[in-house]
Order: sequence, then structure tokens, then C-alpha cells
Amino acid sequence: MIEMLSYEFMQRAFLAGMLIAILASVSGTFVVLKRYSMISETLAHSALVGVAVALVAGYNPLWVAVVVSILSAWLIEYLRSAFALYSDAILSILLSGSLAVAVIIVSIGGEFNNSLFAYLFGSILSVSGEDIATIFIFGFIALFLLLLFSKEFYFIAYDEEVAKTSGIRVKLLNYLLVTIVAIIVALSIRIIGTLLIGALMVIPTIAALQYQVGFLRTSLLSVIFAVLSVIVGMTLSFYFSLPSGATIVLCVLSIFVLSLLINKK
Amino acid sequence: MSIAFKSPIFDVKNLNFSASGQDILAHISLEIFHGEYIAIIGPNGGGKTTLIRLLLGLEKPTTGNIKIFGKDLKHFKEWNKIGFVPQRAAQVDQNFPATALDIVRMGRTSKRKLFSRESEEDIQAVDDAMAKMDILNLKDKMVGTLSGGQRQRVMIARALASNPEILILDEPNTGVDIVSQQNFYKLLSKLNKEENITIVFITHDIGVIADDIGRLFTINQKAIICNDPKAALSCEDMSDLYGISAHLVHNHKHEH
Ligand SMILES: Nc1ncnc2c1ncn2[C@@H]1O[C@H](COP(=O)(O)OP(=O)(O)OP(=O)(O)O)[C@@H](O)[C@H]1O
Ligand SMILES: [Mg+2]
Repeated sequence: MIEMLSYEFMQRAFLAGMLIAILASVSGTFVVLKRYSMISETLAHSALVGVAVALVAGYNPLWVAVVVSILSAWLIEYLRSAFALYSDAILSILLSGSLAVAVIIVSIGGEFNNSLFAYLFGSILSVSGEDIATIFIFGFIALFLLLLFSKEFYFIAYDEEVAKTSGIRVKLLNYLLVTIVAIIVALSIRIIGTLLIGALMVIPTIAALQYQVGFLRTSLLSVIFAVLSVIVGMTLSFYFSLPSGATIVLCVLSIFVLSLLINKK
Repeated sequence: MSIAFKSPIFDVKNLNFSASGQDILAHISLEIFHGEYIAIIGPNGGGKTTLIRLLLGLEKPTTGNIKIFGKDLKHFKEWNKIGFVPQRAAQVDQNFPATALDIVRMGRTSKRKLFSRESEEDIQAVDDAMAKMDILNLKDKMVGTLSGGQRQRVMIARALASNPEILILDEPNTGVDIVSQQNFYKLLSKLNKEENITIVFITHDIGVIADDIGRLFTINQKAIICNDPKAALSCEDMSDLYGISAHLVHNHKHEH
């Protein structure tokens, strides 16, 4: 552990990883309770469109990913409220659409190479100082907003209509939540990767729900599970040269399976 | 006659609602005044829930006008004054991570300032609401593990936590046993008399409606407003009442 942290890039990756774990699990709780788990997968693929554009055009991939992911989140929320479409259908349509666009852009640009691969599966080795700065700036804004409106998000997740009739600006807050989720998803793809970020958002909460405790404890449990998975996952990935994202996901999955077994009736 | 100087809580004028080419509510005009205790009855699919949803802005009327506390529904902001318990509110997701206390505290959400911790007043209001519904002993129980009747009380406590002036309940007594039901009606009438909370509730149990009810609305596409519910109940039995109202609607259509 000490040896590992003597590398500057590992210190950075750890810090960023833990921030992302906190963000993913806190926002994930609301997303899961709203039965909206798939949104993280879809937004991750939209973020990939941003990465593809940035790789081809030579911009900072993380920034463009954040922007495209937010736009996609707004489109999802708009489609969900304006048309009588099933939300899971909207999510899968946008997921495949985004992936198709990303692949086409990259193939036109002739850049379908290792750098895109790093975004698909996450690679801590590729995290630059600039990336860390981006992750921290956006990450803290997202965390601030999540905490600021946590009681509103909780109420909305419980019952959107009752929340509305008690004076909560449901529509606005729904847009805000998907925007926050979009930011978090885009930020995480460096470390966890597009294909795996959904797991870090959803699984810690599902694991925490097995303990059948109130809201505060459920949120705390899911944060602990996510942070623990990131620490253990990154350590294992460092010592055994495994891909970071996949290792983290396997850790969180183990916690989930354990939670299931512990709480088996 | 103090009522005359105060605008009604709800002032509904010529409300019409149709969906998928079907008239669901037609020509509804009604007023609900401060301190009233009103029951709404009517057959399944008669439009009771729809009427409440229109009143609360959850559904947009096709035509017509709704005023709440003297303000146009569009401009109404003081939702804290209204406590609402929807139909099937008690059917919560078994796994939802909430204790009874978590749920009742939701009732204070829009009263609290951003980032502020719970104030003494918030804590007191939550405690009072739970005491009124006699659920203080369930505080730390997960809602998923409560019985139907207990959950119903939790939902009403949530609505009471914002100290509303009016409480709107959509079939709050389904799945509640007879004894609890009688207690429940006593409680509603106590809230009405002692706390001066206006109460509007939808029910199918026309037979057990307490004597305390001031007015009775029968909703079956149209509204029939009965200012003396005891007379209405004694003259016809339930099925007749429903039949007659349906018949009236039919005749009415031909008159126009
Ligand atoms: N948005 C809508 N689109 C289409 N039909 C609707 C809509 N809202 C209500 N309806 C229809 O209006 C009718 C009245 O429904 P409503 O739920 O108001 O009845 P209710 O009196 O509450 O019945 P119950 O006693 O069963 O609760 C039903 O036939 C319902 O299908
Ligand atoms: Mg109904």
C-alpha cells in the first residue's frame, strides 16, 4: 500500500477514485429508487460520443464528455416527460444510438485505438493532472448540489406526485438530478470506463438495500461499499496489473453477493 | 357568517375533463369552504380521483376554472397549506429504504430551507403529527414491514406534518378493519373540530360515514352536491344513489 502510494499517479488516481465512488453511490441511491438505473449506462455511452469527438477534434476528452452527457440527459428527461414513451425504451434507444454515433465518429477520424479502449474500460495509468483537476472541480459541484437537494430528491424518488403537491419543484429537480448524474458518469469514465460505471452507481445501493434500514443508513452503507470497492479494486489492479474498472466492479459485486447472503431470510 | 368574507379554499367553475375522446368529468362547479367536512362518493371509474387530481394541478382540465385560496391554480404557491394522501398511498414499495419517521419527515421538506438542519419546529411538527395518528411507537419501523392500516396512518401523518389547512384523502380507509375504521373517522372528525382542518375525503363506505359530515358530493361524471347527507342516505340506499346519479347524467345529456 505504502509502496503503491509513493507513485504520484497512484495518489491522484486514488483521490479521484474515492471522490467518484462517493458521487456515484450517493447519486445512485436516488437513481435506483426512481427505477432509473439504466440511465447511467445510457449516459456513459453518450459520454463516449463526447470522447470520440474530442479525440478526433483534439479537445480535452473529459470536458467534451461532460457536455455531451449533459445534453443527452436533458434529451432523455425531455422525451420522458413530453411523450408517452416507456423510460426504459428511451434509455435503450439512446444507448445504442450514442454507441453507433461514437463508433462512426472514431472510425471516420481513423482513431479507433488504445485511447478509446482506455475510456471503454477505464485505465488509471492514463489519468493526467489535468483530468484530476477536471474531476475535482465538477465533482465537488455535483456533490454540493446532491447534498443541497438530497431531501427533495428522496421525496421525489418516494412519490413524485405527492412531492409535487407539497410544493416541490419536481420538474426542475428531475432535470437537475439527471444533469448531476450526467456529470458524474462523464467524470468516471477515465477511471471506471464507459462499460462499467453503471455498476458503481447501482450495485452499492442495491447491496445497501438488502439491510432494510432507513434512508440515512442506506445512503451511508452504499457510500462505504463504493469507496471500499474502489480502494480494494485499485490496489488489486496495481499489484496484479489488472484493468482498474473491471477490478472495482468485481469488488462491488462481491460486496453485493455477501450482502445478499448475510440478509437471506 | 365569517365564511362569507373569506374566499373558499377551492372554487371550481364549470370544469370539464376529457381524455382519449371520452368525457370523464363534465360541468363540475363546486366550492369547498374553510372548516368543512366533505365526503365524496361515487362508483368506480366515476371520476373522483380525477377530480382531486385536477384540483391539485396534477392533471390539466380541458376547460374550466380552478381557484385555490382565491388564487388561480397556475399561480398558487402555498402547497404547504394542502395535505394530500393519494389513493393506494399505502401500497409502498416493500424495499423502499424508509422508516415511518423518514416518511413523516418528508412532509416538512418544502418548509425547510436549503441546507438547514431540522429546526425545533420541524421536529415538533413531525412529532405532533405522529402523536395525532398514534404511530409514535412505529417511528423506527421500516414502512415495508407495517400493516396496511399502520401505513395508512403514516401517510396521513406525513400530510399533517406541514400543518395543512385542508386535508384531502383519496379512499384512505381501504384495507382497514372495522374497528380501526371507526377510530379513523373519529380521528378525522377530531381534526376537523379541534384543529379546524378542512377535510375532504373519498370513500366507498357510505354506510359508515360518520354523522359529522357536513356535505356529500356524489361524482359520476357529473357532480351532485348534497348539503344534507343524512337525508340523502336515509332516502335511498347506496346502489340506488349510484343508479340515480348515473341516470341523471344520462338524462342531462339529452336535455342539452
Ligand atoms: N388521463 C386519463 N386518460 C384516460 N382516461 C382517464 C384519465 N384519467 C382518468 N381516466 C378515466 O376516467 C375514469 C375515472 O377515473 P377515476 O380514477 O377518477 O375514478 P374513481 O372515481 O376514482 O374510481 P375508483 O372508485 O375506482 O377509484 C376512468 O374510466 C379512467 O380510466
Ligand atoms: Mg379513485
